[in-house]
Amino acid sequence: MKKHQFVTVVCILLTIAFPLFSMGSTKEQPLVVYAYDSFSGDWGPGGEILAAFEATYQIPVSIISAGDGLEMLSKAIAEQDRPYADVIVGISDEMASRAYKADLFEPYHSPLLGEIPSFLHFDSQDRLLPFDYGNFAFIVDSEAIPEEYWPKSLADLTQEQFKKKVILIDPRTSSVGLGLLLWTIQVFGEEGYLAWWEVMKEQALTITDGWSSAYGLFTEGEAPLVLSYTTSPVYHYTYENSTRYEALIFDEGHQATIEGVGILRSSKRKEEAKLFVDFLLSEAQLPIALANSMYPTNMNTVLTEAFAYAPKPEISLRIESEVIEAKLDRWLHDWTEVMSR
Amino acid sequence: MSDYRRFYRQRSVAPILILFSLFALPVALTIQSGLWEEGAFTIDRVASTFTDSYTRRILFFTLNQALFSTLASLLLGLPGAYILATYSFRGKKLIKTLATIPFVLPSILVVLGFVIFFGNNGSLNTVLMKVFALEEPPLKILYSYGAIILAHTFFNFPIIMSIVSTAWEELDTNLEAAAATLGSSKNKVFRTITFPRLLPAIVTSATLVFLFCFNSFAIILVLGGGPQFTTLEVEIYRQVRMMGNPSGASALAIASMLINGILFLVYSMSQRKLTISESTNPRVFEIRRPSPITKFFIILYTFFTTLFLLGPIASVLIRSFSKTISRSAAPTLSFTWYRQLLGLEASSSHMSSGLSALINSTLIALAVSILTVTLALLLSVSIARRKKNSSFLELFGMMPMMTSSVIIGLGYVLIARYVRLSLLGSYALITLAHTVIAFPFALRTILPKVRSLSETYLYASYTLGSSPRKTFRRIEVPLLRKTLLTAGIFAFALSLGEFNATLILSSSQVVTLPIVMYRLIGSYNFQGACALGSILILASGLTFFLGEVAKGDS
Repeated sequence: MKKHQFVTVVCILLTIAFPLFSMGSTKEQPLVVYAYDSFSGDWGPGGEILAAFEATYQIPVSIISAGDGLEMLSKAIAEQDRPYADVIVGISDEMASRAYKADLFEPYHSPLLGEIPSFLHFDSQDRLLPFDYGNFAFIVDSEAIPEEYWPKSLADLTQEQFKKKVILIDPRTSSVGLGLLLWTIQVFGEEGYLAWWEVMKEQALTITDGWSSAYGLFTEGEAPLVLSYTTSPVYHYTYENSTRYEALIFDEGHQATIEGVGILRSSKRKEEAKLFVDFLLSEAQLPIALANSMYPTNMNTVLTEAFAYAPKPEISLRIESEVIEAKLDRWLHDWTEVMSR
Repeated sequence: MSDYRRFYRQRSVAPILILFSLFALPVALTIQSGLWEEGAFTIDRVASTFTDSYTRRILFFTLNQALFSTLASLLLGLPGAYILATYSFRGKKLIKTLATIPFVLPSILVVLGFVIFFGNNGSLNTVLMKVFALEEPPLKILYSYGAIILAHTFFNFPIIMSIVSTAWEELDTNLEAAAATLGSSKNKVFRTITFPRLLPAIVTSATLVFLFCFNSFAIILVLGGGPQFTTLEVEIYRQVRMMGNPSGASALAIASMLINGILFLVYSMSQRKLTISESTNPRVFEIRRPSPITKFFIILYTFFTTLFLLGPIASVLIRSFSKTISRSAAPTLSFTWYRQLLGLEASSSHMSSGLSALINSTLIALAVSILTVTLALLLSVSIARRKKNSSFLELFGMMPMMTSSVIIGLGYVLIARYVRLSLLGSYALITLAHTVIAFPFALRTILPKVRSLSETYLYASYTLGSSPRKTFRRIEVPLLRKTLLTAGIFAFALSLGEFNATLILSSSQVVTLPIVMYRLIGSYNFQGACALGSILILASGLTFFLGEVAKGDS
């Protein structure tokens, strides 16, 4: 009986004390940065940048994987009343309108903006600062499909030979998926894009919720074609010395995307946050470009030769934020309607 | 004498109040958020779940996959039930033990095991490709409608097998013998005598499986994909977490609760029929030895059941110790995933949160088991020692079972919007949500034991001058010790593997084992997920073992 009482007391004490254990570690409040999964994940630049920033400024940073881009944005908006993050990395131009509507970010006119070409300044109020950009593209596994059979346009992907060989991403939950949706709208027009998706519903091996899952499936060898960026081969060349995975260039053009970083209005550590943003726009540009497989926005960044493996599309497509803001809900609704049938 | 009745009535106040605020409040908030728009009552949103073409398709798909999963589970489970009830053979105990696996295995582990075992690069395909010298994987199961059905079947057919075989074993064989003597053919005896009496068991187990599949979440989330393969629960999660639309999610939740309520009603009605049937000459005493042909089928069945149930788990364990440098290279033995988990080696962000997830999960599970057992004990004694309203109280305690864990999670998300949460609050929220989910199971374990406890012990104690409080502490609780331990272990295991509510609630600050596993699966770090999964298997196995020991003693 004594023994049981003792065990019970120990258990209760442990239970009461356990939040304290974790409180101890957060005593030195770090700067909290939300990033999408692939930024802080296995292939991302998050870890390297963090270490360099902490070493330079002696400011502890905690980087948090907050799901894919859109999930991260929803999360930040949901937490608005009890904010946790200071900085959010990776809100792309196509989903920025939702962030503006929620008045999430505080403008920051960074001195480094002068080193970024003006066509990349997608937010005139500087609430979101562009830190990298790129074009969406399909990546092919050259060992699985010989070059003469590679698709040359979005329409080619609907051919019988690619049945169950393409991995797509859900535009409702992922910014990459959203990019493809906008891409198809540009190429096929508002009347035609749904017909393409309707065919792809059967063609695709699966439609994942986020880019990480899709690209993981692809490198696991489950399918030889995946939606990603023109710059994805750079990663494989830099870190694996492999040219096995190649980006397909379509004559009809490629949807462009610009990714931004912003400081939350609610942040109590704005000075540190600004330092972090500036760091992202300067020293961190090359590691981001390499690991994130995107082009740096800062003109002074010297790219490695690996970028020779990223083909430049002839035509870069973009839809204005205002148009997206006005029509996105309907596009997504129609898409959901067709794809769930 | 009324003294002690009052004592037990008082015991019920605390658990009723606590349960009410833990369960009824979040559900009420969900209903409120689904039915009120800008302060005005509206049925439109809930109604549109049944009229809007997209949500109607989701509803249809949810029902459709649940129906076919149940049929497939019946197809696979009923032959097993027949074999187990009719024949005695070597390996029978093994199958019976294996059949309990789905009850203790967390759903996220099932998904992981399934992908590792059946995937294009999975164990089964690798073996088949080696044996038959194939270039391409022969089984392409993943990411389709079939994958969902197969995973559900794998998870659920043992439930049918064990419930039906138990009922079958206890059927009175005198009736069959009488019918046979009166000239009925074997076929007719089965059709008119055996089957009708077996029906309640079949219906009970099938409804249970249907209920599980209807509320399936982790399996659909990983194996589904795209709007085509979305169930109601997955859509609720997407609405609240990814699209930031909690009121839309609440409207779906109300629809889901309605359907769950109906299913639960069917389940409890058929279960009541099941418990009524009593037996004087159970079949157990007349179990036959199989003929050579049936023996062959039994061996075949045993083999596939074992492969089906143990294969995925074994694959998870094996894969957690292997590492491949490049895809073409053979895997080598490695502890690297475990080292990453313990922070001994540099790793990605998901892996490095493994250790804190392990600590969080253990501590939360500990808190949940203490809280759950205390509440369930208090409610049990007050139900058992009460004359009036006892069945109402029991129903009240079982209510969380009627609500899916996704919806309980949603309710807590809504609560979180009203309170400013510290880190402590995030822990508390998860702990309380788990407590609500575990509570009905603890109540179901403890209440029958309390009822079977003879009240003469209490009377003896009162006669000897002890107060009700002292009697409760010194007589009742010690007598129930083993049951309390079993219930506590059960609650611990449930909390450790809880994925659905936790994922919806999960903040960036508090991660648990299943959540990290899901993130690792999402980024295709299967080996890392397997390392975490192995720890979960170990913990589930241990709690299961302890539970069996505690049961055996009492």
